[in-house]
Amino acid sequence: MRSIKVSILAALVFSFGTFGVFGPRAFAHDTPTGMHISTKSPQAHAFFEKAMAKMEMLHTADGLENFRKAVQADPQFALGHIFLTFFSQDPTEQVAEREKALATRASAGPEEKLIIDWLANASQAKWVPAIQAMNEALTSYPNDKHLHWLAGWWLQLDQNQSQRAVAMFERVMQIDPKFADAYNEAAYCYARQGDLDKAFADIKRYTELVPNEPNPQDSFAEISRMAGRFDDALTHYRMSLKIDPTFHESQLGLGDTYALMGDQQKARAEYAKAIATGSPVQKVTWSLQLAASYVREGDLAGADKAFTAVVEQAHAKDFANLEAEAYRSMSLYQLESAASLNLLAKAEAVLHEDHKVPQSLLNQELASVLRTRVERALVANNQAANNQAVNNSADNAAKNNELAKATLKQLQTLAEANDADGIITSALHGAAGAVALSVGDFADAVNHFEADESNAISMRSLITAYDKNGQQGNARRLAAKLAALNVPLIEQAVVVPEFRKQRAALAAKTNPALDPRGKYR
Amino acid sequence: MSLGSRISVLILLAAGLAASCEAKQVAVIVDKTNSMSGMSAADLAKVFKFDSHKWPDGRPIILILRDPSTPEMKTAIEKLYHMQAEQFKALLAAHSSGVIIVHSETELLKSVEAIPGAVGLVDVYSINSRVNVLKVDGKLPLEQGYFLQGN
Repeated sequence: MRSIKVSILAALVFSFGTFGVFGPRAFAHDTPTGMHISTKSPQAHAFFEKAMAKMEMLHTADGLENFRKAVQADPQFALGHIFLTFFSQDPTEQVAEREKALATRASAGPEEKLIIDWLANASQAKWVPAIQAMNEALTSYPNDKHLHWLAGWWLQLDQNQSQRAVAMFERVMQIDPKFADAYNEAAYCYARQGDLDKAFADIKRYTELVPNEPNPQDSFAEISRMAGRFDDALTHYRMSLKIDPTFHESQLGLGDTYALMGDQQKARAEYAKAIATGSPVQKVTWSLQLAASYVREGDLAGADKAFTAVVEQAHAKDFANLEAEAYRSMSLYQLESAASLNLLAKAEAVLHEDHKVPQSLLNQELASVLRTRVERALVANNQAANNQAVNNSADNAAKNNELAKATLKQLQTLAEANDADGIITSALHGAAGAVALSVGDFADAVNHFEADESNAISMRSLITAYDKNGQQGNARRLAAKLAALNVPLIEQAVVVPEFRKQRAALAAKTNPALDPRGKYR
Repeated sequence: MSLGSRISVLILLAAGLAASCEAKQVAVIVDKTNSMSGMSAADLAKVFKFDSHKWPDGRPIILILRDPSTPEMKTAIEKLYHMQAEQFKALLAAHSSGVIIVHSETELLKSVEAIPGAVGLVDVYSINSRVNVLKVDGKLPLEQGYFLQGN
């Protein structure tokens, strides 16, 4: 069982199991560095404390369960409801809890009201009042470590503002130098900004603060992998599993690391171990990563077979978004555009059927399918243009242009109906950038691709757009980043290895001393 | 893993090392007594180019701006002024009575809050509830198609 070290007081409360002897003032959140909680129920207060302690240790399932118990103990506990809105992964629960938080807001304290205003508005994509309330809370309660931690988390994950997020996590460290997850989150922010020295310094501190938890080792491994330090990554994933053999994310991490190192057989062996222990949804999700290992080694027939197996598994479990993702993944590496477009049609058809999967997840996958269709239609157009011998190539090109435009319009409509969804917005920018690039509007292409710069396909196109737009310095910097991109995603698998080969060939051409074949000439 | 990656593994993995460029969205802010809720991009350009001098209620417009090298001002110069930094500085020098240059985001927010008729540009993540945020072409910052967004 993983140990909880941060909130000793909460642990004591539970070990005694006597809520009644503690008045609300006895809890950690009512200290000068804590968040004032206005529930009158000691049980609700204790469950809330435990939930926060669990969340700080990234035991999210346990954390959520304790938030649920807190609001069961006190249904008028508005802050508990809004934290459930924020942390829950279930869209139905998010909406229901938001409404309960708003309905009980009047009984909350001043800080709680600001947090409710912030998170309730954010969950409805009302960004301006959300940010105003968040900043008002941060200004009014500058010594509340949990408030700053929450703000950092929101800015990092929901808003992709890692520079602002890291300032929040550093404030948490100032308030409480032993707040372990602040170092973890800051390390990821720094890694995303490319500042690996600071990332490793923070992650090292994180491992020192909680040496008996698996997650610090898992984080150390993941950041090592992002930095291309694969052997270190393997070492830390193994250390994580030694601390807790049930920490399945580290088992998956071993597979991902071997996949990125190029050892696909070992990758598949490690993935198989992870899949054997995963939940039903994890089994299917991780099987997608296993299937991608065949793409990485160029065995496209093997990839087709593996992805088809995932389609069948996902279909059997009614994981429609994952079934569609498997089709879309197959479409990405097809050499013939017609085959690719056919697979995307199957993916879209799956998403339009009646399923139990939350609509938000179906919409996100639909956005990814549509952006891929735009890209593949434009590739098909290029293939037709390059193959003048084929009859009706001009007709085909016109059809593909129309398909790209119509699909982009479909994606715009989807984005407008899902304004708060970052994945859909990024997909729209990726697709719009591809269309702009195809018609020679390079400045517009740059603007769109920059808004989707985490996608390897958009990164590759952005390099071209920069180059054509006269921004050669940006093109060079981004090319170096893309070549160093180590993320276990299918987009990376279809783009980065080939990009590295082209880059090496170009370097050898421009500087023969770098060409290993030179000595034979 | 980070908390975010635990909740949404692929999103954060996708962000990875490459996501160093964070999109900037610039909010147009006015003091709380200003009754305007929004304006067109064309009217906003007139305000910031000193072609409009008064609000509809007759109060004089006072621009509160930061140094042209700040990210939000770079976005404004690109989207509103369509001019080079030197031309922009010359424009400000020619209209010094209608503009106040401040040196920090905090100073900008406090100035807009305190000066009736003030209007300023600030990174949307810095806004507070002591100022009003104007819509531009019917959209607030972070909405699809918002006018004042840059990188």
